[in-house]
Amino acid sequence: MPRPDVATFLDRFVRPLVAGGEVHVSRPLTSVDLARFEADLGSATVALVAVDEARTEVLAELVARPPALVLDADELALAVGLHDALVLAHPDADGTLVTDGMRRKIAAAALRMVSQPLSRDRTRVLARHALLHNLFDLGRADVTVSWWTGRARFLGQKPPLRLRAWKGVRRVREEVARAGFDELLATPDVAPVIASLLRRTPLTQLLGVSALAPPLHWEDAVFLLRDAELARAVAYAAIRPDEPRAQIAAPARMAAAFEQMLERSPPVADVRAVAAFLSHIAALLAMAEAHLTSPAARSPLLSAVLGGGPGAGRPRGLAAFFALPVALDRVAPRLGAPPGLAAEAAWQRRWLAFKSQATELVGQPLIDSLVARLGRHLGEVAAVAPAAPALTPS
Amino acid sequence: MALEHVAHGQSRFMTPGVAPDPRGVVLGRFLVVVFPTLEGVVSWLRLYSHEASLDELVAGLEIVRVRTPLMSREMLLRIPAVSSYAGDRAARLARLVGGSIYTGTAKHFVKYRDDRSPYGYDAVEIGALPPGAELMVHGDDFTQTYSREGELSLARLLFRLSLRRMPGATRLSAEDRADLVLAVARGLGDGVIRYLWRNKCDGEVGLVAPKNRSAATTDLGPGLGADPSYLLMRVRNLPARILELFLGTPGIDVFRPVSDNVAVAVGWAHPVELASVASLLPTDAYHVFWPGDRVDVLAGPLELSRLADLTRIDLELEGVREPLQGEVVAPDAVGVALRLAPASGLARRVSATLVPLAQTAHFKRLVYLLPPPALRGLRVAVTDRGIVVVASQDLDVIPLGTLLTELAPGILVPIGMEVVPRVSPEVLATALGHGAGVLTVFTPSGPPFQLPESKLAVLERRTVAQLDTDTIEVRDVALSPPGDPTVVNDPLGSFALWGFPEPEPKLLGE
Repeated sequence: MPRPDVATFLDRFVRPLVAGGEVHVSRPLTSVDLARFEADLGSATVALVAVDEARTEVLAELVARPPALVLDADELALAVGLHDALVLAHPDADGTLVTDGMRRKIAAAALRMVSQPLSRDRTRVLARHALLHNLFDLGRADVTVSWWTGRARFLGQKPPLRLRAWKGVRRVREEVARAGFDELLATPDVAPVIASLLRRTPLTQLLGVSALAPPLHWEDAVFLLRDAELARAVAYAAIRPDEPRAQIAAPARMAAAFEQMLERSPPVADVRAVAAFLSHIAALLAMAEAHLTSPAARSPLLSAVLGGGPGAGRPRGLAAFFALPVALDRVAPRLGAPPGLAAEAAWQRRWLAFKSQATELVGQPLIDSLVARLGRHLGEVAAVAPAAPALTPS
Repeated sequence: MALEHVAHGQSRFMTPGVAPDPRGVVLGRFLVVVFPTLEGVVSWLRLYSHEASLDELVAGLEIVRVRTPLMSREMLLRIPAVSSYAGDRAARLARLVGGSIYTGTAKHFVKYRDDRSPYGYDAVEIGALPPGAELMVHGDDFTQTYSREGELSLARLLFRLSLRRMPGATRLSAEDRADLVLAVARGLGDGVIRYLWRNKCDGEVGLVAPKNRSAATTDLGPGLGADPSYLLMRVRNLPARILELFLGTPGIDVFRPVSDNVAVAVGWAHPVELASVASLLPTDAYHVFWPGDRVDVLAGPLELSRLADLTRIDLELEGVREPLQGEVVAPDAVGVALRLAPASGLARRVSATLVPLAQTAHFKRLVYLLPPPALRGLRVAVTDRGIVVVASQDLDVIPLGTLLTELAPGILVPIGMEVVPRVSPEVLATALGHGAGVLTVFTPSGPPFQLPESKLAVLERRTVAQLDTDTIEVRDVALSPPGDPTVVNDPLGSFALWGFPEPEPKLLGE
């Protein structure tokens, strides 16, 4: 088998990963291959520019002025690590010729490659997100070919022509199913690789929503909330769906991560930033209902997602998300009042009605518990000038 | 007291065969109306038939002559109790004509409800009927048994009832005169048919001959003489004066249809509304109710012939003349030629112009100056006699050629001129072979010419020549929607494990 070269890898794996299309997964790549890729990167200009242009197009929807991007060594390592993680979902890697020991070695290589240094640099964060923004949308077309005497399944592979010939005579039927993120990258041996990979691209973790994704660590991502443009993009992406239960999935996941954060010992400024950000998202949801005829009318969203009472299929963190603005009113009122709301009387009335209904639906004991936990972090500094992001509803 | 009042909701009764209906009124399967004489029955039928249809009662209706134990005779009318609403109507009419009404199913009948007991009555005590008794009625303070003496069918009763003269009923409205039936003695037949035909009365005629001649001759109608057959005519829209004449003519009787198969003499009425007992008058027969207790039942449906075909024909076979042989030739034409002459009347509006071909260049230059409405409103055709420009409105913007005005639709003559002789536009169009969709143009010199209107094109379309245009490329600067990446597994083949690190051992406590 010929040695893979970086141009082919960029063209067949990285560019489709960014821009969509067929992401080709072939034999696992070693650290030797990675070193060779890095050395040859300067000579694969055409493929490199294609990847960077695709990444710029992705970022154009996120920020007004995408930075100039050039695929560098650590991003290449992330891509090679992801490639090796996908090799573990390859049907040939599950056969008799590939032992468990070999699979463990491949997983270890992938983990080492994705274990690049964490970064808080804006350009680097955007570049990594542009590279991996499709991670949760990765899929695989699984074709099941059945004929009159049997059937065969091809995972991400093209069925041979001999099986598809004489469709009428052999009563050939093809069924195509799409395997998603959970089947490809949420398996136990790959999960550590993906968790490590996502820590390197916190923006992807905030913008992407998947119930099977590794839990969010706000300590890795909170710095993004201090960038108003990125914070706004994250907020809008979180509440983009129209259907109520889909709309609160991402905020609930963020609130669950925030509850986990409160159990650790994060910096106070981080707690304040995340609290203010979640309160801002809740305010956006309330503003979306400003069209209601009466400011005091009951919120359809709250009634839909909280109306069933505790345990009625509420996602984790949902109650805490809606209880947070109410709790902040008692612990740090400035964090619970998104700036700009008070300037519009109708918005302010809607926001108060929203919080009032949320209090009624989540229950006072939960709010009291949240107040106590927030108090442990914000108690002494509540009156001090906050380091919250300066977000205004627009 | 032989009866007790029924309470609301009461469901158990002493009287056998009665039950409360949905309104709670006690009702059996039948209602029995008792009258002292047959006149009471007829009066009840007469009243009921004018208020509601007797057809719904005919199925179970029975008129029985009964006798009491004291040998007095009474008439008993039994009708099915279809509902308490029908029962209420029957009770009201029965009381009006002096009868009493009861309800029950078989042998015991209790008094039907009245104002004193809105839900009806129930008998206090039910005893066995004496031998020979047909039924027993339970009144307020009496019980009475009846034995059956005879039966009278309703159909027979209907045919035996005499028609009653209705004052003023001979004056029929136009609607009533729309369809009338005449019974005409055969001797008057030809005269009446000719009279009706002359007065343009449409109708059909048939001959009625009795099947039973002896029965017919014993009961002849007025004016029918010894011949029992007569002509039956069905006439439409008979004028009032002819109706009046026929009503006063012996031998002619006029009938008015009251249903599809029943006709009653004009000026007379049957005591019972015949339209409400249609089920007793079979549809395969036609019933003619005459004054004086006569009813003719004619086999139906009536097969009548056109009245106009029965008018008398005079034949003269002697001295038949040979038919005149001839041919049709065209009449002599006067042969006056059409000419243009100065018009004597007011100037008409300018509808078109004929621009000589020599002035085409001027016309082209003029096109640049025309305002947009003129360009859209003008139609043009280029002919070998010149350019014909026709306007939908007043054409006063083209000062070229011979201005034309419309003499008749589609006929254009030079302005200030007219066609002589001054025949009507229709005659002129016929003489010119002019029709719709054709323009006929008279010119000051030369014969007129014609062109189809379809050849006229809107000037706006004729002005611009074919232009060469460059095809430009339209660039889409929008971002293409990103497709989801799909993993394609290429064959892995065999691979070595050189370069792969050993997995880090994870020990407890680390």
